[in-house]
Amino acid sequence: MHHVVIDRWSRGASPIHAREPRTKLVALAVFLISVATTPGVSPLAGAGYLGVLIAGIALSRLPLGGVLARAAVVLPFSAAFAALNWLAGDPGRAVALVAKSYLSAAAVLLVVATTPLEQFARAMESLGTPRLIALVVQFLYRYLFVVSEQAQHMRVAAACRAPRVPGAGGGLRFRAAAGAVGVLFARSYARAEGIHRAMLARGFEGRFPAVALARPRLPDFLFLLLAAALSLAVRIGVGSA
Amino acid sequence: MHIPDGFLSTPVWAAMNLAAAPSVAYLARRAQREIEESRIPALGVMGAFVFAAQMINFPVGLGTSGHLLGSALLAVTLGPAAASIVMTAILVVQALVFQDGGVLALGANVFNMAVAGVAAAYLPYRLWSSGKLRNPAIFLGAFLSVLAGAVLAVAELLLSGVRMGQTVLGVSFGLFLVTAVLEGVITVAVIRSLEAMRPNWVRAPDSSGRLVLGALAGAAILLAVVGVLVASADPDGLERLAGGAGIAARARNLFTTPLAGYELRGFGAEWLGKAAAGLAGLVAIAATTLALGKLIARRRGA
Repeated sequence: MHHVVIDRWSRGASPIHAREPRTKLVALAVFLISVATTPGVSPLAGAGYLGVLIAGIALSRLPLGGVLARAAVVLPFSAAFAALNWLAGDPGRAVALVAKSYLSAAAVLLVVATTPLEQFARAMESLGTPRLIALVVQFLYRYLFVVSEQAQHMRVAAACRAPRVPGAGGGLRFRAAAGAVGVLFARSYARAEGIHRAMLARGFEGRFPAVALARPRLPDFLFLLLAAALSLAVRIGVGSA
Repeated sequence: MHIPDGFLSTPVWAAMNLAAAPSVAYLARRAQREIEESRIPALGVMGAFVFAAQMINFPVGLGTSGHLLGSALLAVTLGPAAASIVMTAILVVQALVFQDGGVLALGANVFNMAVAGVAAAYLPYRLWSSGKLRNPAIFLGAFLSVLAGAVLAVAELLLSGVRMGQTVLGVSFGLFLVTAVLEGVITVAVIRSLEAMRPNWVRAPDSSGRLVLGALAGAAILLAVVGVLVASADPDGLERLAGGAGIAARARNLFTTPLAGYELRGFGAEWLGKAAAGLAGLVAIAATTLALGKLIARRRGA
C-alpha cells in the first residue's frame, strides 16, 4: 500500500535522511513558499524547481520514478480545475495550477519519505505546533494501519457471511454498513483503553516525557542554506526576468 | 474538499494560516483542559478510526456509494474541542502522507473542516441535545459541517482567482448538498447502531461554555452563508459587497503599497482589492470569535 511504501522509504539511509528534521521542515517551507509566490507561467522556473527536486531525490537515493509517480496523485484534482480555467479563457492559470500543485506535492513527498513521521511530528512540535496535536498525529499514524486492517477484516468477514442476498434491499445494506462502522468505533475505543492500560503497566505516570531532538549540526545548516538558496535563486531569478 | 498547494493565492493561504493557527492553539488548550492525559492515545485511535471507517461503503442507490466523513460523529462522541484536534491531526496526516491537501494550504483546510466544520456540526446538537429533537439536530449538524467546509473552500478558491463558471458552481453546490444530506443520514445511522450496543456513547454537552461554542459555531455558519451568497451570485458580488462598505479602496491601498511590484505583480490591483477585502472580513470574523471565546472562557474560569 501507498503509505507503507513511504514509511519504508523514510527509514532508509542517505545524506537527506541523515539531516536534522527541523532543517528539512524549514527547507520545505522555503521551497513551497517560493513555488507558491512565483508569478505567472514560466517554463524556466518550473524546470528550475523540478531540477532542485530531482537533485534532492537523487541525493536521498529514493527511486526517482517512484517519487515522481506518487506525487501525481494530485493531478486528477488539479487537472479538473485546470480544464475549467482553460475553458474560461485563462490558460496561464490552468498551467500554473497543475505545475504548482505537482511541484509542491513532490517536495512534501521528498521530505516525508526521508523523515520518519514520529521525527517529523517532533520537529513540528519544536517549531511551535501544539504538543497535543503532535501527539495525536503520532498516535493516529501508529494505529492507522492497525485499525484499517481491522476494517478490512470486517469487510471480508461480512462478505463471507452475507454475500449479496437477492432480496436484500438498499436499506438493509445501509443499516448493515452503519452497524459495521458502529462496531469499528466501539472496537477502536476499546483498543484505546487497552493501549492506555498497557502504557500504565509499562510505567507511564500520567505525563509524556518530552523527547529532545538532536541539535542541528554544521551539515544540517549547510543543507538548509543550500536548499533555501537554490529555491530562492529560482524564485528571484524568475521574478526579475 | 482538500485544497492542494498552488491553488490559493498568497494573501489567501497566508491569511487562512493566520486564522487557523490561533484557533487550533486555543482549541488544543481547551481540549487539554477537558480531557485527561490518559485519553490522548484515544484521540489518535479515533482519528485512525475515521480513516478506516471511510473504507466502509454505504449504498446510496443508482449503484453508487458514499462514506462517513466524521466531523459530526466525533463532535458528539468526543466533544467539540477534542473533535477539532482529531480532525486537525487527520488533515495533517492526509497532507503529509497521502498528498491529499497541501501543506501551505493546511491552514485553509484545517479552518474549513476542523474548526468551522466541527463548530457547525456541534451547534445544533448543543442547542437541541435532549428529547425528540436530538437525532434531527445531529443530522443537521452533520449536514452543516459538510456544507460549511465545502462552501468555505469554494469561497477561498474564488478569492484566489480560480475560475469556476456559473454552471460548475451550480453543479458543485448540488453535489455538496447531496454529500451533506448523506453525511447526515450516515451519522445518525451510526449513532443509532452505537447506542444499540451501549447507550452512553453520545456525550451530553457541557452546560458551561455555551456562549463560546455558540459564537464559534454561529460565526462558522455565518461564514458559510456569506460564502454561498458570494459564490452563487458571481465573483464580482464580493467586490460590490466590499465597495459598498468602502473597504475595497482602503484594503487595496493597504495591500498594494507594501507589496507593490513584488510577488503580487502578476495580478491586477482590482483583483487584489477584491481578495483583500474578502480576506479582511474572514480574518476579522475569526479574530472576533476568538477574542470573544477567550474573554468568556476567562470569565468562566474566574
